[in-house]
Amino acid sequence: MSRQRSRWAAESAGILASLLVVLPLFFVVVNSFKDKAGAAAMSLALPKKWYFLDNYSEMIDAGGVLTGLKNSAIVTFITVAALVILSSMTAFTLQRKNTRMSGLLYLLVLLGLMIPLQIIPAYFVTYYLHVQTYLAAIVMLVVTNFSFGTFLYTGFFKSIPREIDESAIMDGVGPYGLFFSIIFPLLRPVTVTLIIIAFMGVWNDFGITIYFLNSPRNFTVTLTIFNFLGTYSSDWNLIFANVVLVSAPVVLVYLLLQRHIIDGMTAGSVKG
Amino acid sequence: MKSTRNKPYTYALILPGILLYVAFFLVPSLFGGVLSFANVDRFSFSAIRFAGWTNFINVLTDDYLSAAIRNSFIFAFSTTLLKVGIGMALAVFLNRKLRTKNYLRTVAFLPAVLSTVAVGVFFTSALHPTTGMINRFLYAVGLDALAQDWLTNPHLAIYSLVGIETWKWSGFTMAILLAGLQSISHDYYECADIEGASGWQKFRSITFPLVLPYFNNALIVNLIGGLKVFDLVQAVTQGGPGSATEVFGTLVFKSFGSGRFGEGAAASILLSLIVIAITLPTWKLISRKEVEL
Repeated sequence: MSRQRSRWAAESAGILASLLVVLPLFFVVVNSFKDKAGAAAMSLALPKKWYFLDNYSEMIDAGGVLTGLKNSAIVTFITVAALVILSSMTAFTLQRKNTRMSGLLYLLVLLGLMIPLQIIPAYFVTYYLHVQTYLAAIVMLVVTNFSFGTFLYTGFFKSIPREIDESAIMDGVGPYGLFFSIIFPLLRPVTVTLIIIAFMGVWNDFGITIYFLNSPRNFTVTLTIFNFLGTYSSDWNLIFANVVLVSAPVVLVYLLLQRHIIDGMTAGSVKG
Repeated sequence: MKSTRNKPYTYALILPGILLYVAFFLVPSLFGGVLSFANVDRFSFSAIRFAGWTNFINVLTDDYLSAAIRNSFIFAFSTTLLKVGIGMALAVFLNRKLRTKNYLRTVAFLPAVLSTVAVGVFFTSALHPTTGMINRFLYAVGLDALAQDWLTNPHLAIYSLVGIETWKWSGFTMAILLAGLQSISHDYYECADIEGASGWQKFRSITFPLVLPYFNNALIVNLIGGLKVFDLVQAVTQGGPGSATEVFGTLVFKSFGSGRFGEGAAASILLSLIVIAITLPTWKLISRKEVEL
């Protein structure tokens, strides 16, 4: 009996604690559907009248959100695609070659997990090489995630037996064919994890994009929140609608693919 | 034997990735060392003038700049303490058999996937002194004395940011520690039960030592994350009021904006040295584990 009771106590304590996360989300969503005065009251109450389309269409028209969505889509897609290809190729060669050179190169790549990016010198280098705005943001997002991607793939390659490579070579497949048509398809589980984690990281990125995409014209949708805070500082309904729009894709992906995401995001710190 | 084994693998595959990584990550890291000793106000090599230790001296002695260093440490240590403490409590709690376990884990980790800027916007509204959710809740339950100017009081602002960071990352820390708890075999606990060990004894002699590696990782990940913080501070207080919440990240951003690139580079280099000093002890472990294939 007391066991039963302590279990109920634990369940209720858990649910109560979960409100610390659920209430803020509820608050933002609910207030994104109110009118200006209603949202300014900052309450958890449901809207008296729901402004579904009005707020969201006004928000989308207002703060360069469509441009932001387009920019986010471009930057995220190219960065993630490049990251998958570059880090899987690198991890494959470095894991398979068993030389002093490959060991050293792997250590060099892992350094990126430890050292913070030197952003001002990096800006200097991109400026000098005439790599600007989108391309610069993409390149910097790729290189700052490259170490993690390579680390993730390397762990997985250990589970793919070399016999597969050897029999392919016997069949006369060259080194490129070996990687692209035989090995790469086997990497699907890790590739999926990396795509999800990198998608979320790049979509949410602020620390790099703020330096390289620094005018409203080339803002990503995450950066448009700043536009709203500055220009529409009292229109909390629109600000919250913008926050919902920025967060929705990431939250949806998380709810659908939770396992992948928790494993992937903690991979660096659990395996180490 | 070795040469034939290595034959099907070509370094050509690593070239694109490594070249980009070297050019845009490693070269800037080394070049940061040069810039930190330079006086430079535009992005041109001809503008670089040797400045000796001035940038470092400025960063370490100027009130504004040294506030940033102090705040970074306050932020990193207090958030680490809270995130690991709360994360551990959550992990132990959610390692039990609960009907709501899956729901609770999902919710606990959720803040980690949200954009920091979005989280920052919510808390900017929630911490507003008069209309904010938090003060209004405190007034409603009669705890008026606890209501504060969370973000505008210079003594308090940095701790408000600590609170937001803790809200966002405790669930993530929980996931790391939970992975550790789940790696412990049940046999140990069964043996302990037969021996008649108490709950505390089981925690001290079985759980804690076996979770320790995960615990250390959580500590280091959070310490580094705390020292590197930028987006949260930039989104909520931009380093203000005054220099009350200035950290390394906002300092570098400001030097970038005002064209004092040498000082920004010096602050970045200092941050890197601190991070390396913290990670180096674990670094050896990681590299040994991963290189011996």
